[in-house]
Amino acid sequence: MSAADLRKTIRAVLCKGLTVEQADQLGAALVPVTVGAGQAVLREGDNPSGLFLLLKGSVEILKQGDGGSQSLGKVEAPTVLGEMSLVTERPQSATVVSVTDCDFYLLTRLQFQRLLATESIAAYKLLGTIAEVLAGRVARLDQKVVELSARKDGPPPVEELAAFRQKLFSEWSF
Amino acid sequence: MSGFEEVNYYFRQAARVMDLSAHVERMLITPFREVKVDVSITLDNGELGTFIGYRVQHDKSRGPMKGGLRYHPTVDMDEALGLASLMTWKTAVMNLPYGGAKGGIAVDPSTLSARELERLTRRFVEQIHDIIGPHTDIPAPDVNTNAQVMAWIMDEYSKIHGFSPAVVTGKPVDLFGSKGREAATGRGVVFALEEYLKDAGDGEIRGKTFAVQGFGNVGSWAARFLHERGGRVVAVSDALGGVWSPEGLDVPKLVEHVRTSKSVVGFPGSDAITNEQLLVMDADVLVPAALGGVITEANAKDVRARVVLEAANAPTTPRADEMLAARGVTVLPDIYVNAGGVTVSYFEWAQNIQQFTWEEDKIEAELGRHMREAYATLARLVRERQVSFRTAAFIVAIGRVGRATVLRGV
Repeated sequence: MSAADLRKTIRAVLCKGLTVEQADQLGAALVPVTVGAGQAVLREGDNPSGLFLLLKGSVEILKQGDGGSQSLGKVEAPTVLGEMSLVTERPQSATVVSVTDCDFYLLTRLQFQRLLATESIAAYKLLGTIAEVLAGRVARLDQKVVELSARKDGPPPVEELAAFRQKLFSEWSF
Repeated sequence: MSGFEEVNYYFRQAARVMDLSAHVERMLITPFREVKVDVSITLDNGELGTFIGYRVQHDKSRGPMKGGLRYHPTVDMDEALGLASLMTWKTAVMNLPYGGAKGGIAVDPSTLSARELERLTRRFVEQIHDIIGPHTDIPAPDVNTNAQVMAWIMDEYSKIHGFSPAVVTGKPVDLFGSKGREAATGRGVVFALEEYLKDAGDGEIRGKTFAVQGFGNVGSWAARFLHERGGRVVAVSDALGGVWSPEGLDVPKLVEHVRTSKSVVGFPGSDAITNEQLLVMDADVLVPAALGGVITEANAKDVRARVVLEAANAPTTPRADEMLAARGVTVLPDIYVNAGGVTVSYFEWAQNIQQFTWEEDKIEAELGRHMREAYATLARLVRERQVSFRTAAFIVAIGRVGRATVLRGV
């Protein structure tokens, strides 16, 4: 991939607010990685390696559940994987397996910390983008929690609907 | 708060009073259908222009869905969703046999030529013709769309489905439009206020002072009707600024002035004010008739009017709404106050279906009847339940939509 293409992908996929110079700075910190089809790129529970920028190919994301591993879906290039590993040392939260031959660029945690230590604006902007992605995820999770807890506590929906109907034609009839 | 969240905030206030369960709430809030389409056209310079069109259909339990189409760069799914649900509640408050919808195209129409605008509109109709229709979903004018755009929609839809004037409202009077449609929202706003004043024993419009923000289709007609009834319109404003005269502005002359100079600014015999000053002007009634979100936490404590007449959609933020209520300011809510527009749209649709035309005095009389009947229901709830007019309006709407939904069967 040419430097110009990489720069374009970085600014479009990785972090939208970067200037050309900042994108190049991040680009210089990336290491190309190629993986054949059917291989594990990341393993759930492993120590985190860093952020993967998927440029070509598609991967499947798997998570270990009660009844074995469960697919969380497939994603196609271009996309970003493992972004949480840049902000936390917690083990990998999911397994990523390549479906086709894949080209990645890897930003290791160490490289990213070096950039932060030099007070690189590009790195801080990337941090901001990751925070935004995570905030979105938390909001969706909150919604899910509310839905699930409503399901557990309330009476069955059929009865609720009957109660609603009753109220509509008596108390709230106008 | 986003548009949808803001509408749902008021919805939930009413839902709490009605003690709705979370499931029922979710059932009523969830939209029926959201559509996003590609609207690509050849521009005059030969290049390809690609735009995104939206149509959200919120609820169809009470009848065909109804709501505007706007052409504006900020149009997106969330905005359309919020406004579509607002239309569901608005048509229910007015007891019109409609559900709610809204949509538009994310485009700045000032960058397009008239021919491009026509192509864009026709292409949009090609993309959504199978989900709109006289008995399915009936669009209407909104921000940056007018009678001409509606005429194109009717023509394009009729090419595919045969002669169908009732597929869209707000058409030109010379092409199956209704008399009195242009003045409808402003006229309804004034009817709403008259009903409130009568009910509250607060006298009449004559002699009261008014500050009107916005001098477009809604604000200018509202100001004209207030002036005709002897009200003193002491301040008006538009996007460029405002004018103020403590003795009252001569509204017909001001309309003339706007026709020639395209703004209220510089109207002879008045002092210049800003839009911010207008909102806190010394007047009996404040009429926000322009943008949403203008009465906020920052200025609600300074509003001096005793009544806020919401001629615009969502001019008051939820926090400001609470602050006004705490200070004893009566807010007559958008979903009732500005419903004159959709009510006369309903009359237009009814005339199209009947292949019959009504005279303007009949339109005015019928609009007055609808506004009075809706007010009577709201006022009863306000008294019996000790709730605000806005909560009362949502309770009425939820009740009507809910009954239609359960009667049809879930």
